[in-house]
Amino acid sequence: MKKQLQQRTALITGASRGLGLALARGLARHGWNLILTARDEQRLRSVCDELATITHVAAVGGDVTAPAHRRTLAILAGGHAGLDAVINNAGALGPSPQPELLEYPLEVLSTVFETNVIAPLGVLQAVRDELKPGARVINVTSDAAANAYPGWGGYGSSKAALEQMSAILAAENPTLKVYWVDPGDMRTDMHQAAFPGEDISDRPLPDVRVPAFINLLDGDLPSGRYVAAALGQVAVEAA
Amino acid sequence: MTGVALVKPSVAPLDDPIDFQLPEELVAHEPPEARGLARDGVRLMVSRVSNDSFTHTRFSHFPDFLKRGDVLVVNASRTINAAFEAVREARDGSTSEVIFHLSTRLSGRGESWVIELRRRSATGTSPLLDARPDEILRLPGGGTARLVAPYAPGGSVIANSPVRLWIAELWLPESALKYAEHFGSPIRYSYVPNSWPIEYYQTVFADEPGSAEMPSAGRAFTTEMLQHLGRKGVRIAPLVLHTGVSSLETDEEPYPERYHVSYPTALAVNSARRLGGRVIAVGTTVVRALETVLGEDGYVRAGRGWTDLVISQERGIRSVDGMLTGLHGPKASHLSMLEALAGRKHLAHAYRTLLEKKYLWHEFGDLHLILP
Repeated sequence: MKKQLQQRTALITGASRGLGLALARGLARHGWNLILTARDEQRLRSVCDELATITHVAAVGGDVTAPAHRRTLAILAGGHAGLDAVINNAGALGPSPQPELLEYPLEVLSTVFETNVIAPLGVLQAVRDELKPGARVINVTSDAAANAYPGWGGYGSSKAALEQMSAILAAENPTLKVYWVDPGDMRTDMHQAAFPGEDISDRPLPDVRVPAFINLLDGDLPSGRYVAAALGQVAVEAA
Repeated sequence: MTGVALVKPSVAPLDDPIDFQLPEELVAHEPPEARGLARDGVRLMVSRVSNDSFTHTRFSHFPDFLKRGDVLVVNASRTINAAFEAVREARDGSTSEVIFHLSTRLSGRGESWVIELRRRSATGTSPLLDARPDEILRLPGGGTARLVAPYAPGGSVIANSPVRLWIAELWLPESALKYAEHFGSPIRYSYVPNSWPIEYYQTVFADEPGSAEMPSAGRAFTTEMLQHLGRKGVRIAPLVLHTGVSSLETDEEPYPERYHVSYPTALAVNSARRLGGRVIAVGTTVVRALETVLGEDGYVRAGRGWTDLVISQERGIRSVDGMLTGLHGPKASHLSMLEALAGRKHLAHAYRTLLEKKYLWHEFGDLHLILP
């Protein structure tokens, strides 16, 4: 029998696969209302159908790099009477395999930055009036933002830019909690694309990282950079 | 008075509701927000009865069609989360899952409500008709309902005939309104495949909770538009009529509903008419309430209670000059009310036009403003 619903709403981008899908499922089970988006409308539709049995889900397909699509998300956020959380999860890896920087096609690099840096800010600008006081903003980043791995110059530098942008957003908006979270390696399509032809079955499924995100959303940690694996640990110890 | 002149005798047969085929593509399956439209971005057809003409626009232009001195009467009832998942306990001890709808709270002590039972079907839900008195339903969070008797206002129940609505006694861990807030979800029908949070079912006017279904004609208004209307000298007068569950599957007459018309609202309506302003009802519920409190002298009174009024073309409408309303399905009893205001010929023409121009039907769809 259905348990009592919390009336909290989260917007999750890139929600049709990988970490975004795992987060959508996890939040749905915790009673969150969801606004989901992804480019793959068909997959998104099936995610919506799956989660609609648990909670209120509004799913609208589209590309977060398109201003018109971001306006649609803002209108939905307004319809839900505001957002308690925005999870900027949609991201682009770039070419697979990833070229070294001196060979990196610049027009592709610019789409990687468009998706990983400009679009997350664009989403926040679009929904700024719908953010409830104390709303959580989670920008999904990577350890490639902090470490100089050869071959990760495009993706890594875009995530580094996203991290610095998150830090400044936090400084500029003390009423929000801004978290930039490194989820760690996971068995996802993106991770497979980063290691084409390699066996990544030793990496954990993204579901393992979900409790860390739930902790950030439910808790009162200060804005900042967090590593999901460490947060998950805290959750286990606290439990 | 402008309003009285509207009621014209009709030559059309009175017992023959306007019928048409509603194409599937013209059903709004989700809120306009899901289509990237702001609330006031839905389409609006303005139809003028006097010269049988139509204007096609967006609801954001609604204020252009009103003038200083007009009064908009709105329904300030708040929609409640009236749908619950329940477990039905049969006499042999077996259980099954059903959908339990709160419709209307009955007067008296305790929580006594008119309720509707539905079962899940391949295409959504359908009415459950084989329940019996004294059946017990287990509701979420430790609530219980007992079916007391079939609900048959103004009539008797034929023995062993199917019953859709029941009077039920409820035992809940908190007041029914609080309980609904915590454990219920908005009522929806099969043409809305996904569930939407209750916010999508509230209008900007929503104040007193009690409606099982959204008074949807007011859905497209925004606070900005209210400010615009205020600056124009258009008055907004609220009343309350708590809607019960609608009867989409059948051609049943509407059930009695609770209403409250305040003294200031009655005064606003009467003075608008005396000074030549138009009274525009936002929704069929407003017409029902205003006609209920209308006196022989053509003026409305403050009042509260139950109304079982059914408005047909034969009876006519005298309390309002115009009406903003959603688009109603074929044979709906609401269409008879619209006919009473607009006349059969104009209404039939209007519905042909709405179909031709591909307007969207039902609570998340487009709007129709009928002016004299």
